[in-house]
Formats: sequence, C-alpha cells, structure tokens
Amino acid sequence: MIYKTPFDVIVCGAGHAGVEACLAAARMGSSTLLLTGNIDTIAQMSCNPAIGGQAKGQMVREIDALGGEMAINTDVTGIQFRLLNESKGPAVQSPRAQCDKKAYQFRLKHTLELQPNLQLFQATVTGLIYKDGKVVGCRTSLDIDFMGQTVVITTGTFLRGLMHVGQNKNEGGRLGDFSAKTLSGSLLEAGIELQRLKTGTPPRILGRSINFAGLQEQKGDLEPTFFAFHDTRDPVDPFHVEQTGERRIGWKPGSEQVSCWMTHTTPESARIVRDNLHQSAMYSGEIAGVGPRYCPSIEDKFVRFADKPRHLLYLEPEGRNTNEYYINGLSTSLPFDVQLDLVHSIPGLEQVQLLRPAYAVEYDFAPPTQMFPSLESRKVENLFLAGQINGTSGYEEAAAQGLVAGVNAALKARGAPPLIIKRHEAYIGVLIDDLVTKGTTEPYRMFTSRAEHRLLFNHGSAELRLFEHANNLKLLSDSRLGRISSKIDRIAYWENCLETHKTAGGPWADAIRRDKTAAVLPAAFMAEPKEAREEVLYRVTYRGYLDRERRQVEKLKDVERIKIPSSLDYLAIPGLRRESALKLHQIRPQNLGQAGRISGVNPSDISILMVLIASALRAEKP
Amino acid sequence: MSFSGDTIAALATPVGTSAIAVVRASGPQTADLVRAIFGTTPPPRLAQHAAYRDRNGALVDDVLFTFFAGPNSFTGEDTVEISCHGNPFIAQKILGDLFARGGRAAEAGEFSKRAFLNGRMDLSQTEAVMDLIHARSERALAAANLQLRGALGRQMESLISQLVNVLAKIEAYIDFPDEDLPLEGRQAVQDQIAQLLIGTSRLLATNQYGELLREGIKTVILGEPNAGKSSLLNRLVGRDRALVSPEPGTTRDYLEDRVVLGGHWLRLIDTAGLNQAASLLEKRGVDKTFEQAAGADLFLWVIDSTGPLPLLPPSLAARMTPRNTVAVFNKIDLPAAPRFDRLQAFPFVNISALQGVGLEALQAAVIKLAESFHVETGDELVAINARHAHALEQAKACLVTAGQKIASGESSELVASDLRVALDAFGQISGKIDNEKILDQLFAQFCIGK
Repeated sequence: MIYKTPFDVIVCGAGHAGVEACLAAARMGSSTLLLTGNIDTIAQMSCNPAIGGQAKGQMVREIDALGGEMAINTDVTGIQFRLLNESKGPAVQSPRAQCDKKAYQFRLKHTLELQPNLQLFQATVTGLIYKDGKVVGCRTSLDIDFMGQTVVITTGTFLRGLMHVGQNKNEGGRLGDFSAKTLSGSLLEAGIELQRLKTGTPPRILGRSINFAGLQEQKGDLEPTFFAFHDTRDPVDPFHVEQTGERRIGWKPGSEQVSCWMTHTTPESARIVRDNLHQSAMYSGEIAGVGPRYCPSIEDKFVRFADKPRHLLYLEPEGRNTNEYYINGLSTSLPFDVQLDLVHSIPGLEQVQLLRPAYAVEYDFAPPTQMFPSLESRKVENLFLAGQINGTSGYEEAAAQGLVAGVNAALKARGAPPLIIKRHEAYIGVLIDDLVTKGTTEPYRMFTSRAEHRLLFNHGSAELRLFEHANNLKLLSDSRLGRISSKIDRIAYWENCLETHKTAGGPWADAIRRDKTAAVLPAAFMAEPKEAREEVLYRVTYRGYLDRERRQVEKLKDVERIKIPSSLDYLAIPGLRRESALKLHQIRPQNLGQAGRISGVNPSDISILMVLIASALRAEKP
Repeated sequence: MSFSGDTIAALATPVGTSAIAVVRASGPQTADLVRAIFGTTPPPRLAQHAAYRDRNGALVDDVLFTFFAGPNSFTGEDTVEISCHGNPFIAQKILGDLFARGGRAAEAGEFSKRAFLNGRMDLSQTEAVMDLIHARSERALAAANLQLRGALGRQMESLISQLVNVLAKIEAYIDFPDEDLPLEGRQAVQDQIAQLLIGTSRLLATNQYGELLREGIKTVILGEPNAGKSSLLNRLVGRDRALVSPEPGTTRDYLEDRVVLGGHWLRLIDTAGLNQAASLLEKRGVDKTFEQAAGADLFLWVIDSTGPLPLLPPSLAARMTPRNTVAVFNKIDLPAAPRFDRLQAFPFVNISALQGVGLEALQAAVIKLAESFHVETGDELVAINARHAHALEQAKACLVTAGQKIASGESSELVASDLRVALDAFGQISGKIDNEKILDQLFAQFCIGK
C-alpha cells in the first residue's frame, strides 16, 4: 500500500546523521518523515559514549551554529567535560564530553517527537522507488510505500552489515540489531557504486567488577566548556523545560561530573594477542573492508608498533544509571575467549565481567565522489546521502552531513538552491569538500590538520563564521540571529578600538600581543560577555597569522567563484590531458577552485577550463 | 566573472644565449613595479633606455623598457617589456628581482590566456589559445620533469620528506592530545627545522653556482710572450679565433671565447704576454692582462718548455694556487725541449698546441679544477633558476620564523602554520604536496588510536 500523504522529505535512518537531517528539514518547514528500523535506538552511540574531541568538537559547535541539535543534547546529557589542548592556542582547543548514552538517546527521541512538521515511523526501508531517474519514495518491510519529493539515506553500518567476533559472524549493523540487506541492491540498480569498509568497537565491561585502586583517575574540567552557543545553559533558564513545557530528560550542564580511568596493556596482553592473531577476523582474511588507520584494533597496535611496551586504555562510564564501562583503545575482532583472557591481563580488569564482546563490522558505503557538494547523488536526482554511507566515521562527521543533507533536501523540495559550506568557512566545509572532491579509501575522520585554514576555525567563532548561512536560510530563531549579529558588531568594534585607540604606551593591542595576561584593558571591554572578549583577544593576539590565512582565503575565493557548467563534456575538450579529463569527468567539480583540488589536475588544465568557460560566456553575451 | 588579478612575469624570449632577452610582466601592479624600478612611469609604447637596478640598488644591466597601458596591450592589462642583454643570467636576475618585488612566475601560456580572457583575442581563437596552453605546459612539464629527475629533484624530495616528517610530529601532538605519545620533543623539532634551514640555504647557494654555470667559469690564459697562448686558445675553441704569429707580442688586447668542457662552460680569455720590457702599446696590453687575472676563476699558465721556467709577477703568483691553476708546458714537439717533470706548485701538462698533442690531458686537468667550483650540496650538483630561488627564499623565511617560534615556546599550531607555508613553497618547485602525506607519515610514525 501507499501511505496516504506524500512528504517533502523522507529520512531513512535515525542515527546521528538521520536525526539532524530530519530536524533540519522539519525546522525549515518541510513536511518530513523519519523512518527507522527501531525507534528505541534513535541517536544511539554505537561506539564510545563521547562527543567532541579534536576537530570534532569544533564541528559540533558549527552544527549548533547552523541550528543542529547535537551540541545542546550533549551539554544537557553530558557527564564529564574536558577542553582538549588547553595548553595550546585557541584554534586547536576542542571541547569533548562523555555522555550518558541512554539520556542522550532518549532526549533526542523526545526532541523528535515534539518537533512540528516531523513524523516518526518504525519500519525498515527495503528499497527506493525511482521514476525518470529520480527518487520518489521508499519501500518498507511492512509493505508500506512512502512517497517523498526528496529522500535522505543515512544507513550507518547497517547496509549489508556483517559483524565479526573471531570466526563467528552475524548479520547486523550493531550488536543486537538488524542488517539492511536489500537497500544496497536498490542503490546499485540506480547506478550507484558501492564498496566495503570496516570498523570496530571494544568490549563493554561491568563497572563493579573493576578494581579501581591503582588506576589513574581522569576528572572533568572544573570550569567545563560547553558546545551550544545558546543561552539554555543559563542556570536561571530551566533548560529541561523547553519548547512545549514537557518535562525533558537532562540536567544542568556540567553538574555532578563523573571520572574516566586510565589503565594500559601488559606484556601478557601482547602475548595473548600475538598467539591468537590467526583467530582474529581481520588477520585471518575474514574481513575484506578497509579499516581506519587512526583507530587501529589492538591486533594492529601490537603488530605494527611491536616495540611499544604498552598501550594506553581509558575506561569510560556509559552513563549515570548504569554500571557499564567502555574500554577505549581495545577494539578487536578476536574470538570471545581470547578477548576474555586479554581483558583479564589488564591492570584493574583482572576479575572483570564482560557485558558485550568487542566486534568488527563490515558495511557498504557509496564512494562519496558520486555526490554533489550539496550531498545530493549525481546519479539519482533528489536522493541525498549522509553519514557512514559516504565513507565517514564518527558521530560528529555524521551529524554535520545529516544537517547539510536535511537542509538541502528541504531546499530541493521547494526548488531553492542548495547550502554549500566552503572549506574556508568551517570544518563542515572541509569535510564535504574532501569527500566529494577526493573521496576516501578508509573511514574518513576529521582532523584539524585537514583544514588549510584551521587558525580561522577556533571553536568559539563557529556561530560568527556561519552566521551568513544561518541568517540567509533562517536556520536559527530570529532572536538568536539578532544576538549573533550584535555580537559580531561588538567584536568588530572592540577589535578596531583595541588596535587603534592610543594609550600612553601605544595601542592596547600591542600590550596584548606583548603579554595578554598583564595587559590592562578598558573596563567597558572587560564588561563584555566572556565569549566575545575571548574572540577579540584571539584575533588581536594572532593578528599576523590570521591575516595571512585570510589573504590565502581571498585568493581562493576568486577561483571558487568561477562556476563550471554542469553540461561540460571534459572528454571532448581539446588540449586537456587525458588523465585530467578522466578525473574531472569522474568528479564533475562545481567550480574551478574545486577542480584545482582534484589530485592530478594541473594549473594548465585549470587555465584551459578557464578559457573554455570564458569563451562560452562570451558566446552567450556578445 | 572575475579572474585573479595578480601580476605575472616571465622570460618572453627563448631560454639560452641570444643577442637580446626580453622579460615581460603583466597585471595590475605593473605600473607600480615600473615606477619602483625606473623611478617613473613613461608614456605608453615608447621604448626607454635605463639602468636596471635590483631591489638592493645593485646595477643589473642597461636595458630598454616599454610600458603598455591596459587595455591597449597584448594581455589587455598594464604590461612592461624589458629588453636586456642576451645573457640568460641577466634575464634570470631581472626575473628574480620582479618576483622579489611581488610578481609571480607566469604559468604556461598565461599571457595568452589573459589576452583571451580580457577580450584581446576573438572567440575563433579559443581553441588556439587552449592548444597553446597545452603545448607550453607539456614543454614546461617535460623540462621540469627533467630537472626533477635530476639532482634538484632529489634535493627537493629530501627537503620535502624532512619537512613532512617534522609536520607529522607537530600535528600528532595537536590532533591527538589524549594519546599516549612519547614526550613532545620540541628540541628535536627545533633541530630538524635547523637542518631544513641548512638544506634550503645550501640549495639557494647553488643559485650562485647557477650564475657561474650560466656566465661561464672565467679562465684566463697567461704566460710569457710567444709561449703559445693564442695557439692554445685556437686549439681549445677549435678554430682560428686569435691571430697567431711567431712574432712575440702579437696579442695586444685580450680575446674572449666560450667553450664547453666536460659539461662546464668556460669563458676563455687569451691575454697579452707578460713582457717585462714592453713597448708602451704592449704595456697597455699587459695591464689588461692583470685586470683580467684579478677576476679570474681559473688560470692556464702557458710555458715555453724549450726555455727556462719563467718567474710569475708577484701579484699573480699570490692569486694562483694548485686549486685554480694548470701549468701548460707547450712546444713539446720541438726537439730541444727539456721536460719539466718536477714542477711542484701546480698540476701540469705537456702539450704541443701546434700539433694538438696532449690536449686530452689538459682538458682533463681543467675539468678537474672546474669541478671544485661546485657548491657542496651533499654529493649532488644542482643549479636553480630565479623561480626556484624565489620559492626557496619564501620557504627559508618561514623556516626561520618557525624556528624562532619553537625556540620561544610559542604554541605549536603557529609553528605548523609557518611550516605549511614553507611546504607550499617547496611545492611550487616540485608540484603540489597533498595534506594526506602528513597524515600518512603521522600514522606510520605514531601508534594512534584510543
């Protein structure tokens, strides 16, 4: 049967990408449907119970600046907050939080339930419905077809998900969950290429069986750094009673923080792993997918870094109302009995009870060079893809894409041009540009070093950097847009004032650059809100470096502005080297800036394209 | 549509020695450049004679320059054409100066591209321009590949891998603060940056060697009158360049010619004989010999082996060493010749310029000395051009700043920012360097992964 009302946007999958996608679309006024195989696992943290960290923390703040939910949800359900790299400069400082896994999930589920324009429905999507090369809806396991103008696919690890514990194999995208087995065929049928990736997760253990004596404690920051820019964290604003006045899950951000604990592997652990390598799913050739280099299994660590005497492990609590702990750093695909011996070889874990084994999971992904920078498929119109299906890893990377895909699906449904965040504006821009321009061969994770202009990407400036996009598309409430706008003005005013206003010893800015802590600054400045003050001080202190990056960005913008006609047939362009022509034909860049970033494309190829585009424009307007 | 508006410069005449070389610059800063170099912006399209002085005020050459005001120029932008003497070294020097003043090296076919984009060519020429860009870039690529396959490529590869290595180290501590990494060794990073600076400076020093290569090694042939200096010159260049006669003192001025020996370009200078009791005219010739000898890189001291070993004038003897002089005993074909086998001061050869005997030995001796002019760059020989020099200067400046930042305990993302600019500068020589390289190195070096 066909469901009686069609939707503007249908989102398939309710992980971190899916929830941001459906919220964004619904908040933009599109009638939106969220389909998930299990409503109880909305926004489940399948791996570690933490949000943020290097580059990811900045990205979560960017998500907040574009009206996403991840930041506020983390603040309200976080149980430990730490600012990473506090000893380094603001550009590379990143907030990170341990979350209460269940609270995180249930609060997001509740948020979706309360969201106007959004409908939730539990059904496994079995295939897509196409018409004239466009997607028009999806089929479900309940034999109900849903029709939509645009469809966003966020399958995570569920697309032909296959889990490995040693030689034991189970179909599913996550322990205890199902596998989306037929959707892959539906994508292939539409001409979308699929490949395999692999990821893994460590064992979960029972907290009361851990011997904490002798383990090093890692506490949260006394002055926690939060993710959301909005004022809901204000203690006088009862954040747990939002929107409808319903009672919400969550607590005062930063209250009653809990600790993580540090331990390490032993020579005995190394011996156990080495003796049993042949039983590991990854080392016995059972797994075809490529795993991430930055998140190696314990097998990889002992094999590739054999001279390293021990490997650090973190024990992370999974929530306030559970005794389950996550062993960060012990991802493996060894058989269960070996895992048990391995865990028992670790200080503090000698008597520990395993609640869930570690496992590796293989899944299908669609190489992301098949998409436009809007995250719409180039093969199928109106089909958007976000999250692990695009070859990424991480909740934050998924949420960022989900948000952009949701916004663009809504825009497409109403015939408006897409939101494209440039790589010089935000980590989200770097993420998407890397994916669609370079593709990926391992699960892609964001690092600050991937951004050419990361000094401009300090986490505190996210809502300033992305204000224009948020404002143009009305992704935030009017009152919040107004607050950001005046914050921008205040910062510009103070930047100028500190730089130009002469005191007896020269401008204030000079005093700041000499010694930020000793500089005596005007009382009116000190009365500004902390966030604005910090941004001004950052800009003044690092002026030379920031100016250099801004100049680089300006140069980049020139070529970014030159659009490449989508109908261009690269293979027929005289003078273009064959290798470049094939690459350009495969990636189909949107503008000359993107074209120049494709590996193997030379400046002379760009010159030829420039001449060709100019010629086409002149022929149009003689 | 807007196209990037920086000012580009390049050699407009083929590389190599010709009578005149033309350097062309085009772009919005052209008028400012002309004013900065020549003091005025002359009326358009009128050739001006002027002295070209570089940024430091040193005279480079007497040149003719013509300023063209946009849009009435080949490219449609403000353009200047500077005609200098055809020595490639001078043209490179002018080009290098234009880069130092803010110009950028033009890409293949870029002048034509700009002409087209600015409407100075009509649509029917679209394909011609594209073909030209293609052809030029293929040629440039072939030339660059040749260079990069050689010593320069190896030097660059080593510099780049060192720099990627340092960056990977710094990035690891920025991107993985919670990892169990070995203690952050800022001292080690500082040492590595210092090493990189040495490597970069060495490569830059070959710019001077490049000059030597381009200008030729100045080799002065000197000796007593009638020792056979002019015969030797003729033998070496393979034609009758100098007038020879049995009459001593035939060469009264100096003569110059160029010859390639074992890959070295020698500027051979035949001088008047060092006659003690000379006529006034000869005396003037001898003075010129001293003048030439003062700036010589190499000496060929020609000695008549039938006579006694002559004495060297003290001012010359002071400059001549075993590292820059070959003693050439000539006329061994004459029957009365006693052999001088035991001269200790200089390497020597026995020849007969008249009959062409012993020339191979002479050439081998000269080549051996010429090689000592190579700048030490490991065991490789490299010559770099103005564009490379400019990129290396940029890299060097950033490495210096990075070194200072790390020494003064500044935050490492700032050090990384400088090092990245240096890496980009290296990339201007060797081709774009992907960010991914740093990550590859990082994951190879460190065990990352909680």
